[in-house]
Amino acid sequence: MTKLTFSRRRFLGTAAAGTAALASPAYLRSAHAAGGEVNIWTYNDFVPEAFKKQFEAETGIKVNVRLVDDQGKQFNLLAAEAPNPTVDIMTVAGHRFLQFIDNDLLAPLDTDRLSNWGKINPTFSESDWSTINGHKWGAPILSGMEVLAYNTELVSPEEVKSWDVLFSEKYKGQTAYILQDMMSIIMLKMGYDGNMVAYLDDPAKAEAIVEEAKQYLIDKKPLVRKYYDGGAEVQQMFVNQDIALGHSWNGPAAALINDGFPLAMTIPQEGSYGFVYTYNIANNAPNADNAYTFLNAILASPEIGAAMTKASGFISTYKDASNYLTDLEKKSTSFTDEEMSTLKFFRAEANEMKYGFVDPAVEAIKAA
Amino acid sequence: MSDDLAQRTHTGQKRKEKTDLTFWGRLSNWGPYHLMMGAVTASPRRQFVVLAIFPLVWVLFQNLGPMLQMLRVSLTDAYPVAPGVEQHFTLENYTRFFGDQIFWQPFFRTLVFSAVFTFCTLIITYPVAYFLARHVSRRNQMLFLLLLLIPFWVGEIVRTYAIMILLGNTGAVNQLLKWLGFIDRPIPFMYTSFSMGVGIVYLTALYMLLPLYSALEKLPKSFNEAAADLGASAWTRFRRVTLPLTLEGISSGCTLVFLISTGFYATPVLLGGPSTTVFAETIAGFFHVAGDEWPTGAAFATIMFAAALILTGTFQKFMNALRKGDTK
Amino acid sequence: MNRGNRILLSCIYWAFVLYVFVPLMLMVVMGFKDSKFIGFPIRSWTLEWYTGVFADTEVLSAFGYSTSIAVLSTIISIVVGTWIAILLEGRKFVGRNTIYALTILPALIPGIISAIAFRIYARWLGIEPGMGAIVWSHAVHNVPFVVLVVMARLSTLPKTQLEAARDLGADPFITFLRITLPYLVPAILGASIFCLLLSFDDFVRSFFLGGYEPTLPVLIFAKLKSGMSPEINAIATVALLLTGAIGIWAERFTRRLNKD
Repeated sequence: MTKLTFSRRRFLGTAAAGTAALASPAYLRSAHAAGGEVNIWTYNDFVPEAFKKQFEAETGIKVNVRLVDDQGKQFNLLAAEAPNPTVDIMTVAGHRFLQFIDNDLLAPLDTDRLSNWGKINPTFSESDWSTINGHKWGAPILSGMEVLAYNTELVSPEEVKSWDVLFSEKYKGQTAYILQDMMSIIMLKMGYDGNMVAYLDDPAKAEAIVEEAKQYLIDKKPLVRKYYDGGAEVQQMFVNQDIALGHSWNGPAAALINDGFPLAMTIPQEGSYGFVYTYNIANNAPNADNAYTFLNAILASPEIGAAMTKASGFISTYKDASNYLTDLEKKSTSFTDEEMSTLKFFRAEANEMKYGFVDPAVEAIKAA
Repeated sequence: MSDDLAQRTHTGQKRKEKTDLTFWGRLSNWGPYHLMMGAVTASPRRQFVVLAIFPLVWVLFQNLGPMLQMLRVSLTDAYPVAPGVEQHFTLENYTRFFGDQIFWQPFFRTLVFSAVFTFCTLIITYPVAYFLARHVSRRNQMLFLLLLLIPFWVGEIVRTYAIMILLGNTGAVNQLLKWLGFIDRPIPFMYTSFSMGVGIVYLTALYMLLPLYSALEKLPKSFNEAAADLGASAWTRFRRVTLPLTLEGISSGCTLVFLISTGFYATPVLLGGPSTTVFAETIAGFFHVAGDEWPTGAAFATIMFAAALILTGTFQKFMNALRKGDTK
Repeated sequence: MNRGNRILLSCIYWAFVLYVFVPLMLMVVMGFKDSKFIGFPIRSWTLEWYTGVFADTEVLSAFGYSTSIAVLSTIISIVVGTWIAILLEGRKFVGRNTIYALTILPALIPGIISAIAFRIYARWLGIEPGMGAIVWSHAVHNVPFVVLVVMARLSTLPKTQLEAARDLGADPFITFLRITLPYLVPAILGASIFCLLLSFDDFVRSFFLGGYEPTLPVLIFAKLKSGMSPEINAIATVALLLTGAIGIWAERFTRRLNKD
């Protein structure tokens, strides 16, 4: 454990995962493919370092991690490599599945080969978005959602009951959001299906709804400080007090809260959308057997899930992972039942139609 | 063909010549080398062919190849091609740009921003280059230039976040102004054209500085002195002597900076505001967010590139005319 | 020279230095902040991020990887760029302007476009992603800058020297090695620094053409996903110091070589 002292954040994460791996050597017995390697594309800290070391030592399979920083880049990279990719396991968000599946980039997941599949909370493993064309396509590992985050020294909890506060004169020039995501939330707020699955048969209606949401955001454009893209940006805006409140993914907001910043987050009464990061096996993966060994191993213990949560701020999909979190970490990754009741997951079925309308609308809002 | 011929071309010190003589002489008389050189330089024509063949192959395969590949993608209706889908050639990706006004604004904004930032960079770096080339002793010039290069060793992203720390509401500048008692509330510098400009000039300064510096450095000091002897004031000397003679440096610096500016992505996205969307962001959107619209992205990139080339071409023509007019 | 002008100009120069260095100083300072996020106010300080950099093998190997890529691609760019510059400078032939335009092309293509074009092209050529592919793309991208700088210098080379050498019977290759090349040394040194810098700083090409080993910018981008932390600032600062140290050493080394 000598190498694990380089940063506090990592130390906590790896130490927890280390004990987890030591406490649960169950996956080792099912490891039939000894040796070789497995190639993974994932986000920073999504594969806990101590787990990786342990896995390599016990199975003899070398884990090559290539760090990526967004979904689009993974898609571009994989599309450029297909049909003979170098990668075995990727990290795709559930609502981006279809795009990958349509291009034949993912292999269906054979859950019978994963004895630890049952350790995933069924909310995530058996959700409506997770089965496409009769197959499972990925093992859920972390879950995120669109939340309203606010600086508690500048904004009171009473003010953030509704998404409307983002568009109030009071906070003019002190708000920020991701346009693409905000479009879905505005549609939901207006009482429509932001996934547009309900309008699959009625594109004209879908178009009209997107138009309405677009007009709303154009009207409110003078009030916003920044349309941002990445979690690091919104964190920096909060720290610099360039904004007092904003739409954010829960992960980046949780990381700020855990660092002691006076921030809180909520799911407003109109509801919000959630998404799930999954590990997927690439179509034609060069080391598919090792990929299954790896997936089964990483699903083995809730402590591994907790380690990922600690590092990323996203919510673990593992059953009982929260047992291994500190109180502050629990606070930053949990919501009241009332809040959760309004949460819906992003769905991919109507994506082609939806983004056919939403992408140009986003361009139009930016240009307006 | 002899040692002493090769030797006499050299103007170095005595001791060195001796060692050189043996080496260069030996080389030049060495059989295989002699034969090869003889074959290669038999005629000026052959000499030229030998010199030209490698660059030709390089630019065709390395520079043109990827561009043609992109052009091809921009003319298709699907890329990467999904299995079971047939790829067709189409001009639709290009007509899409001209058919939809929402793309025009970021497009023209990019051209205007690039022109303005290029001009700002020129105004800011010209005195710096002038100072370096004319007022710093030759021995220290390199040192002073290198000093300016140091910050560029830090990656664009880290540097851009540092600018956020500088200009944010709780940033260094606002803290300083508050401490000095100039302001009560922070000034919102960030996410405006101003913060974007601060970041962009940072990126372009180097590309402007180098051509300007080399143009100014070449300029003989005697010209200026002669003008001074004739009683010209400092401003007249600059306007009538220095400026016209450095037009070439200005022109190449501006061309380079303008073209590069049209392609900036990360800095404008991170430092700009809701109303400063640049075209590179639009293009990147087709590669990132939508993911499956590479052909449109490629077509838009081609349009941007062509427009930038036409503009800089016109600019260079204008500068050339100006230069000719001045020397008359 | 007018004294007032001179003072004014030096003020402008130092103001520019300040503009260029202030963000850099902020970066260095933020590396000492005891928090996971950079920014003011700084409530407590720590050395942990800086000492951590030296213990992080991932960062160190990425630094080494980036450095080797930068050096290799620079060598290629310099050789090719000088060659092309010599072909183009002061010669008139059919297609010269076309070749010139094609030469400059890679410098002008937006990064993301060029990266994807390279990726598609590499696949078409059968080049595997990895160090070779990155070096190749950096070399191609940097050649135009070498050509521009070397051509500028070449245009000031007194023609009489070349003619004298030729009159005396030296063949073109020896003339190049003994007259042209020594004259070009400052330009080549300048261009090298520029190429090293562009390569070391490049993210987008390295990302698309890289394999499982990250270059330093690629690693920093991935780390940014969990926030702009003082850790990243510390890494950037240490990388800056290390490259600076290597640069100074290289400068001393070549100077000593020249003396001998």
